[in-house]
Amino acid sequence: MKNSYKILDETPFQTAGPFLHIGCMPNKIKINNLYKNDLGKVPFKNKNEIEMITVEGSVFDGNGIALDDVMLETWQCDENGQFFGDNGFARFIPDKLTKKFRLFTVKPGQVENLDEKNQSPHICLSISSRGLNMTLNTRIYFEGDDLINDPILSMIKNNKGNIDSLVAKKIQKNIYVFNVFLQGNKETVFFDI
Amino acid sequence: MNVKSLVKRNYKKQPEIDFPDYKSSIFRAPKNKKISIPSNLEIFGPIFNKKILGKLDNDLTSNFSKNKMSPLGHKIIVHGTVSDQFSNPIKGALIEIWQANAAGKYLHQDDKNPAPIDPNFSGCGRSLTSSDGSYKFLTIQPGPYPYPNRGIEWRPMHIHFSIFGECFGQRLITQMYFEGDPLINLCPMVNSIADEKAKKSLVGKLDTSQSNIQNILAYKFDIVLRGVKQTYFENRQEGL
Repeated sequence: MKNSYKILDETPFQTAGPFLHIGCMPNKIKINNLYKNDLGKVPFKNKNEIEMITVEGSVFDGNGIALDDVMLETWQCDENGQFFGDNGFARFIPDKLTKKFRLFTVKPGQVENLDEKNQSPHICLSISSRGLNMTLNTRIYFEGDDLINDPILSMIKNNKGNIDSLVAKKIQKNIYVFNVFLQGNKETVFFDI
Repeated sequence: MNVKSLVKRNYKKQPEIDFPDYKSSIFRAPKNKKISIPSNLEIFGPIFNKKILGKLDNDLTSNFSKNKMSPLGHKIIVHGTVSDQFSNPIKGALIEIWQANAAGKYLHQDDKNPAPIDPNFSGCGRSLTSSDGSYKFLTIQPGPYPYPNRGIEWRPMHIHFSIFGECFGQRLITQMYFEGDPLINLCPMVNSIADEKAKKSLVGKLDTSQSNIQNILAYKFDIVLRGVKQTYFENRQEGL
């Protein structure tokens, strides 16, 4: 490893702005003749639909308004804890009318932590939009899983973090609700990863 | 055992999240401090395959043109390298860009600026870096444009960049500005970065060496993503 004093500065973030769809999901705004598919349209190809789950929700600002100009990106392993290439990556936006996003994916398996403690199944989630000078990072955990023994959640709990904000609630078989609160008393826990 | 970890992000070199001069941040910027966690899945992938790319994806002067008509404005080359904080070039980094046309108008229904769209220009492009971490786009000079903030303000000329390096934790979304643009210093989004050197690193430099070869103005914009460390594993300290 090179000496730390030679480390370059990371390039700073800037907001993705309101027109991010042009570059990130052109087909979604009817720029149809450029890319065959928008990047991350589906997280996995060739999965059995019966075993898939839906995670749906909204992203709320400090006024309690559900936003429709945010972009969400997720990264996860498959049901066996495996990932390769871009399998496991998805990118989506809330629906213009309902203001809800919908991720149709497999429920991730267990991934091992770097210190070999098992982590509860989760999906990494990032949020970019107008008004956010940096992309935000959080995680989606699942109601019904063992969340007591998870090392990350325990750490957050010990520091009085809002663990509930990280857990998708099961409302039906294979359907989970996960809302993101950018501000307010329900503010979601965001991570420095 | 050897484990990978990301260089800790230096927030002093990053924009303030909560920066009221940029009005849209007021009700969107989270108020609580971010919680530091050891990276896990965030350090592996996603990696994108070059099969996703079309031939003209990095040529915005052609990829939306009708009947071989060129977009309006002057052509520019935007090029540079993507490396990590240890100066290692990153191969196969996916760069997606988007920008306004020469008149400062985006091809987007939410753009209310009363400037003309250009039927031959989408403002959308992408590329994967070569083995030496280099990338190159052919595009046109984007115009500056007015937008509502604290009253009407003007965005400096810029191109939006979204970059995937080797892993989710290196993810970067930013903007490149153009050397010499007097609007840069007036822009609250730029000024949300307090560190002057960091601010300057977002300004693409006029690169006459490239310009002379192809008779097109060129700008050089190098991008640094977070470093990935390989370290021998000892008991990791966790904390906030």
